[in-house]
Amino acid sequence: MKKWVPAASGLLAGFMAATVFFADFSTGPKGTASNDTANKSNAEKVYVPYGELDEYYMLSSGGHSGQLFVYGLPSMRKIRTVPVFTPDPATGYGFDTKSKEMLGGYTWGDFHHPAISETDGEYDGKFVFANDVANNRIAAVDLSTFHTADIMEMPNMGGPHAGTFVTQNTEYIVMPTRFSVPIGKEYAPLDEFEEKYKGVVSMVTFDQEKKDFDLAYQIMLPPWSYDLSDAGKKVSGDWIVMTTYNTEFATTNNEINASQNDRDYIVLLNWKELEKKVAAGEYEEVNGAKMIDPRKHKGSIYALPVAKSPHGVDVTPDGTRFIASGKLAPLMTVFSFEKAFEAIKAGDFETEKFGIPVLPYDKVVEREVDPPGALGPLHTQFDDRGNAYNTMFISSEIVKWKVETGEILDRTPVHYSPGHSTATEGDTASPDGKWIVSLNKIAKDNFLSVGPSHPESMELIDISGDKMSLTYTAPVDPEPHYAQTIHRDKIKTIKIYEKDENREHSVWKQEDTRIERKGNEVHVYGIAMRSKFVFDAKAERPDEIKVKQGDKVIIHLTNIDLDQDITHGFGIMDHDLNYEVQPGQTSTIEFTAEKAGTFPIYCTNFCSALHQEMSGYMLVEPK
Amino acid sequence: MAKKLSAGSIASLIGAAALIFASIKFPWWGMKFYAPQYMEGLDIIVYPSKLAGDIDIVNGLNHYIGMAPFSNESFPELQYLPGLIMGLAAIIIIVALVRKKSLLYVPPALLIVGGALGIYDMNRWLTKFGTELDPKAPIELEPFVPPIIGENILANFVTHSYFTTGSFLLGAGFLLTLLPFWLERRK
Repeated sequence: MKKWVPAASGLLAGFMAATVFFADFSTGPKGTASNDTANKSNAEKVYVPYGELDEYYMLSSGGHSGQLFVYGLPSMRKIRTVPVFTPDPATGYGFDTKSKEMLGGYTWGDFHHPAISETDGEYDGKFVFANDVANNRIAAVDLSTFHTADIMEMPNMGGPHAGTFVTQNTEYIVMPTRFSVPIGKEYAPLDEFEEKYKGVVSMVTFDQEKKDFDLAYQIMLPPWSYDLSDAGKKVSGDWIVMTTYNTEFATTNNEINASQNDRDYIVLLNWKELEKKVAAGEYEEVNGAKMIDPRKHKGSIYALPVAKSPHGVDVTPDGTRFIASGKLAPLMTVFSFEKAFEAIKAGDFETEKFGIPVLPYDKVVEREVDPPGALGPLHTQFDDRGNAYNTMFISSEIVKWKVETGEILDRTPVHYSPGHSTATEGDTASPDGKWIVSLNKIAKDNFLSVGPSHPESMELIDISGDKMSLTYTAPVDPEPHYAQTIHRDKIKTIKIYEKDENREHSVWKQEDTRIERKGNEVHVYGIAMRSKFVFDAKAERPDEIKVKQGDKVIIHLTNIDLDQDITHGFGIMDHDLNYEVQPGQTSTIEFTAEKAGTFPIYCTNFCSALHQEMSGYMLVEPK
Repeated sequence: MAKKLSAGSIASLIGAAALIFASIKFPWWGMKFYAPQYMEGLDIIVYPSKLAGDIDIVNGLNHYIGMAPFSNESFPELQYLPGLIMGLAAIIIIVALVRKKSLLYVPPALLIVGGALGIYDMNRWLTKFGTELDPKAPIELEPFVPPIIGENILANFVTHSYFTTGSFLLGAGFLLTLLPFWLERRK
């Protein structure tokens, strides 16, 4: 044996052992935990010390929880859950008479797209509107109280997924349908899909004084699926754009069958023109709605071909362009409103579908933006420097690009599969360009595990510089779809409900409390205050409610503590009843005392040092 | 002392009357309550004619220590105080117009007596509310007398009592009633 052999084999063995033990064969992205300097400055960006407040409210849809989630930015702290379509015992929403009636017996909703009320294309911070894809409803949340103020159910609809979007002065809240159904949801075999099924757009108005919705009119469209929509701004202020899929009229296995056409459509609606036609009586009454049929009244609806199965369509802050995100086509298509208007003016139509003139793609498109390797573009947000930000669901990233040129400026990975994103005031006429939050559908390994299913994730990205900088991640309950982020100065909340002696059923003095019997109805006019209930000041025990088995009990309760955040709860044992009265609020619950017996009543919302003593009894005398 | 008051003295007295009259429209005295959960402070603000501030909230909290609730109706002074002040202003104007040097003692004397009575009255009320506590109150507290001016600590509250705008106007008025003594000094 040569002398060098043992030496060489020894060295080789040493290298192999070292490689086995110390080499890093792991693939994939590296964490940034060791990047101390960057982490320190990121931590400073999101830290909001005691005594200071976040700069932005993020109003996030809660998806199939039916709730609105309120977050603060940049801290990403969750501030409140506002029940909208779902009962909530913590606030008594859906328990007290008014909200119970508003919910109409439903116990859930599917809230996808919040829309803050606008003036001149800017958020005005007065209301946020919500759609219920599951039950064809629209809701308004009053941003002075963060309470749901009104809910309306709309006829003829198959799930208003493509809402909620508002026109630039909140003239209309637009609710296009996702699933086509026969008008009135009558029985019709799926073989008759093309003839009998319709996709309907609801044009809803909201009276901000009375806090009351009205269905202004509906537009009957072909049985395509309407995915998302946006309202124009400034030059395009009279217009609404909507994406469609399933122009194939597939009725089964839509995953495949609705993805066959190379081109689907963007529908352009001129709501000002439609409004005139409706005012001129050019509609039919269909199940209580004024229905306008474009086949009979041409000239305000146009279709525009777009790369297959687009998802989002977003109007640029200046209102001159709209950008369709391809979803199945890996590109963003920038269209020009001005070019579309020219084609309409010249009567330059390719063909006609369902009585809707189809505009020539080549004459309206400005450019296609196709970042290499970026897949699944869904939605676009904007900053104040002419840039667009697109979420890429499949390639899990946000792509920043210049609207004017289509130049790709930056890309940042997100974790994982973003749906919408929300930039600070990012869909208004003047975005702030400070932050964008990526609303990710999959969290996987982002947080401590809580079993097979994980929360969704929201990633905060600093967009104030040339390059995006991933700054923070927060978990969130299922499931935010879209969110809007509004500067805190635009939201003016009230501190208490003002004392209003004329308010129905309200009582403001202990001595005015009373229990009145009318036949088998017992009406309680009571108050809650620190730390007692008073139902009948003249009774031996003012905090006792005595009724007979079978009585209908109506309890009106006013919280006379006109002091910020002093909320009282009211729970009755064994009756599945709990609600709250906020400072200065009057609320009512109604129930039938079916069970004879003795039932404690107590304050459920910790109010004061003697909260535990804040209680009473309901005695139900047997028949 | 036959000489009549100079124009300066008359102006000074009319100024005093004006300031005293104006004080009716301003708060005279206040008490501010701070607690951990009331960082922003709760106010009792006393005008000659009314109470202002967070009276309902203060009453609500006071019931825990058994203090009687108070309101405008609790203090009859609030009914006639503005009248007294107007009368005082009128007397000062009369003194100015009569222009008799000997009457110069009247306005400051009235103000000193009135002020002393006022302070006595306030102290009487503070003592009454602070010491006549309901023995059945959930929180038992030694009777106390909140100070007319300065800081006091009571359970989780720190209170600051202070004189304010109206009293300062009154004080300035008082100084203006003294000014003629200097103006009319023997030359």
